[in-house]
Amino acid sequence: MSSDTKKILVVDDEESIHLLYREELEDEGYQVISAMNGEDALKLFESENPDLVILDINMPGMDGIEVLRQMKQLKPDVPVILSSAYPEYKQDLASWASDDYIVKSFNLDELKASVKRHLQGS
Amino acid sequence: MPELRRDPIIGRWVIIARERGKRPYDFIIEKDKTKGGFCPLCPGNEKTTPPEVLAYGRPHHDPNGPGWKLRVVPNKFPALVIEGELDKRGEGIYDKMNGIGAHEVIIETPNHHETISTMPLEQLQLVFMAYKDRIIDLARDKRFKYIIVFKNFGKAAGASLEHSHSQLIALPIVPQLIQEELDGCLRYFDYKERCVFCDIIRQERQQNLRVVCENEEFITICPFAPRAPFEMWVLPKRHQSRFVSLDDSQAASLTSLFSLTMKKLDTVLPNVPYNFMLHTAPLTDFGLEHFHWHIEIMPKVNTVAGFEWGTGFHINTTPPEESARILKDSNPTQKGDLDEQ
Repeated sequence: MSSDTKKILVVDDEESIHLLYREELEDEGYQVISAMNGEDALKLFESENPDLVILDINMPGMDGIEVLRQMKQLKPDVPVILSSAYPEYKQDLASWASDDYIVKSFNLDELKASVKRHLQGS
Repeated sequence: MPELRRDPIIGRWVIIARERGKRPYDFIIEKDKTKGGFCPLCPGNEKTTPPEVLAYGRPHHDPNGPGWKLRVVPNKFPALVIEGELDKRGEGIYDKMNGIGAHEVIIETPNHHETISTMPLEQLQLVFMAYKDRIIDLARDKRFKYIIVFKNFGKAAGASLEHSHSQLIALPIVPQLIQEELDGCLRYFDYKERCVFCDIIRQERQQNLRVVCENEEFITICPFAPRAPFEMWVLPKRHQSRFVSLDDSQAASLTSLFSLTMKKLDTVLPNVPYNFMLHTAPLTDFGLEHFHWHIEIMPKVNTVAGFEWGTGFHINTTPPEESARILKDSNPTQKGDLDEQ
């Protein structure tokens, strides 16, 4: 893995999402690391120094909004993209701490474009 | 015995459950847990919001940087979009149009822990000035017919961020609830040739049963048929249909009375979640004789459930006379130059 390969942390409690995102993002040349819950995500966020995070909102235990709040407190410059099945969370102003909000879909073009946009210049 | 009461403006019925007569200590209000961590609305984090459309108090020309006293920014993830045409169309009997609108957030203070009831009067006056300035600016867009300004305070009332903020949504239609109010006001005016709100103010001042507080220009009452315990309306005493007609002296007077009203609410029901909504005339209606702008304050202490959704009725466990008496008798510590009676 080249040293300038960008590392993406995917946080989601669904295994199928990890498989889908990993396959698509690795095809794009990114390194993907995974966490199944908020607590593990925060540990990896600190130890692995990802360049970008894709974060689910609805998770058991610590929800994605709380994880987002803590990640932005720790490292405000690391882009975090919220990825949720629920568009209504867009109305939740707490999601503003994120850099983008993508509604989950099997068509990942929007997500990949957002990842590319936020990793440019980082 | 419970009492059915009819709102004189839109004809909405409420059930006043007198025998239940809940007093403030009967309502269990859990204070939202203070959340630490990153706040996208705090000074220093301006880059996490879209570029501001209005800012007050920044001494130097440094848009989207710190140093502000109040900021207004568009919604980062808007439900309605500002670009495009309405393209009104029908699909059989169904009507639709493109989701055109504007959704803005008024960041009321740079101080994360300040609330409407604790902020200094000069800061609260900036909030009202921001409402006015944004309405005037957005009204130039002829696609918009109505602008609703509202605030959610506390998680139970829909606020996910504790940093004090209110919201504004410009709509291409007049909302049904506002239209019902306009229609009710017009029916009353056609019959009596007087504004129903002016008559309400006159009667409430004469009876003094539901008046919470007043000053020279404004009055706060608990309405005759309130949907919720401790619901309050803040109204200008002089007839005015549009909020943007507020002049500087009125703005100071509104600020003073509104601050007192919210301090009273906070004293009687500490940390209660609430919503307030500004009802003003549609953008294209000037100088309506039959409509009177006002602010409705709805503490979130009861649950809207099947009966309410199914009938439009509300059950209120605290009569407004009792709510008004308790609020009136409350004595919050006052700061600033208040001219309440």
